[in-house]
Amino acid sequence: MIRFQKVKKIYEPHNVVLDNIDLEIKPGEFVCLVGVSGAGKSTLLKMLTKEERPTSGKVFIEGADLDEIRDREIPYLRRKIGTVYQDFKLLSRKTAYENVAFAMEVSDAAPEEIEKDAPQILSIVGLGDKLESFPEQLSGGEKQRLAIARAMIHRPSILLADEPTGNLDLVNSYDVVKLLLKINELGTTVVLASHDTNIVNSIGKRVVSMDRGKIVRDQTHNGRYVI
Amino acid sequence: MAINFKKIIDSGWTNFKRNSYLSFAATSIMALVLVLFLGLLSLQFLSLQVVTSLQEKIDISAYFKTDATEEQALKIKSDLSILPEVADVTYISQEEALADFKARHAQEELIQESLEQLDSNPLAASLNIKTKDPSQYASIAQFLENSSLRGVIDKINFYENRGVIDRIESISRGVRSWGLIVTLVLALVAVLVTFNTVRLTIFSQKQEIEIMRLVGASNWHIRGPYLAEGGLYGLFAAFIALAIFYPAVYFASDKIAAFAPGINLFGYFITGVPQVVLMVTLLGMFLGMVSSAIAIRKHLKI
Repeated sequence: MIRFQKVKKIYEPHNVVLDNIDLEIKPGEFVCLVGVSGAGKSTLLKMLTKEERPTSGKVFIEGADLDEIRDREIPYLRRKIGTVYQDFKLLSRKTAYENVAFAMEVSDAAPEEIEKDAPQILSIVGLGDKLESFPEQLSGGEKQRLAIARAMIHRPSILLADEPTGNLDLVNSYDVVKLLLKINELGTTVVLASHDTNIVNSIGKRVVSMDRGKIVRDQTHNGRYVI
Repeated sequence: MAINFKKIIDSGWTNFKRNSYLSFAATSIMALVLVLFLGLLSLQFLSLQVVTSLQEKIDISAYFKTDATEEQALKIKSDLSILPEVADVTYISQEEALADFKARHAQEELIQESLEQLDSNPLAASLNIKTKDPSQYASIAQFLENSSLRGVIDKINFYENRGVIDRIESISRGVRSWGLIVTLVLALVAVLVTFNTVRLTIFSQKQEIEIMRLVGASNWHIRGPYLAEGGLYGLFAAFIALAIFYPAVYFASDKIAAFAPGINLFGYFITGVPQVVLMVTLLGMFLGMVSSAIAIRKHLKI
């Protein structure tokens, strides 16, 4: 599903962010990527959406070499991958409904399809009564659930979550994690980057630990937060 | 890729409304730019009108000696009228000149009385010549000088009027070329101001654009609504500009007519209403959309 092959990222002049990363993630896996800030978790995730490009090495998604995807095809790649961020990245001038609808519009979904699917996914994440609310009118937990709804609207095969609980309190964090686990149960591969020990330990799935751009540990089952 | 046109306009309109403060600012600035543009247009029109009416007043006349026959005069007239630079030649006979003179001084009894004392007509027959371009009067005068019938011509009044003719000619040349340059420079300034305003509007939404890209929006999906928004700025600006301009012209028209009679600025813009409205609207929308397109370009790099 996802494969990193000797991936290196160096910011000039010699700031090594990723150092020879070899990692394979199978379809349907739930992977926690842990490590302190600056370990390279976010950079690794950004490689998958081509927001960052490796200095050397290769990245594959579903067997396709990302190097061979041209710039104008990047939107199509991004529609196949759902992404959730610490700072939500919601469109502040659009309502909850429109945020989800926008993600569908860009993939040329039919208007009837949007009108049916968008409210449905919003009620799945518990925002059925907030369709017309703007992001600033939502709480932190609600914003993140909206972001997840938007990420899932394309039924992507991969969901990337970069510190999704970083801005949330404990209760909301667990809600978000439960949602991610549910999404994973339905067959989506989930990669969760986090530095929150409690969250990671409560999940009990594969844990990949990173430190200073290297993978230092890879616990395939019932992993714990250790570096 | 079928991008729904109506959808793009709708979403542009929604952005326009939700961003009301910035929309208002951008629209007002564009409206000012369009008013400036219309103002330049009227100025150009007025100055050309003034120059043209001055030019129409210039002519040269050749006065014949009293012993010249009418055939000789008409011969010179036909020689002149085949010259390409001549617009019009009129022959004024001695009798016509006298009738004119009497008519012009009909109220002055002294002049009327003294005319009656005379046995013969003291006025000379003349040819009145207008050229297509004021710079050609010198060559007409030259032509008359070299004519075989120079002997019957008493005087050519070009030499007395030469200073005035030259001055008017240089003014008209100046108005044409400098007017164009000034108009172009101001238009450029106007475009830059509009462009900068729209650029700031879009810059304030830099993050939104980045998010759209992350969600997988193609460049046209992002650009479309911004172009529509830019077009809407232009459309509303055009309406505002016209709503300011027409009443202003209406009130100014009387004042202008007072010092330059015969020039009807309001009439000029009223007869051309459809053209003016269409031109200003299209110009406004074009400005708005081009500014948006240029401003958004650098945010679309992946």
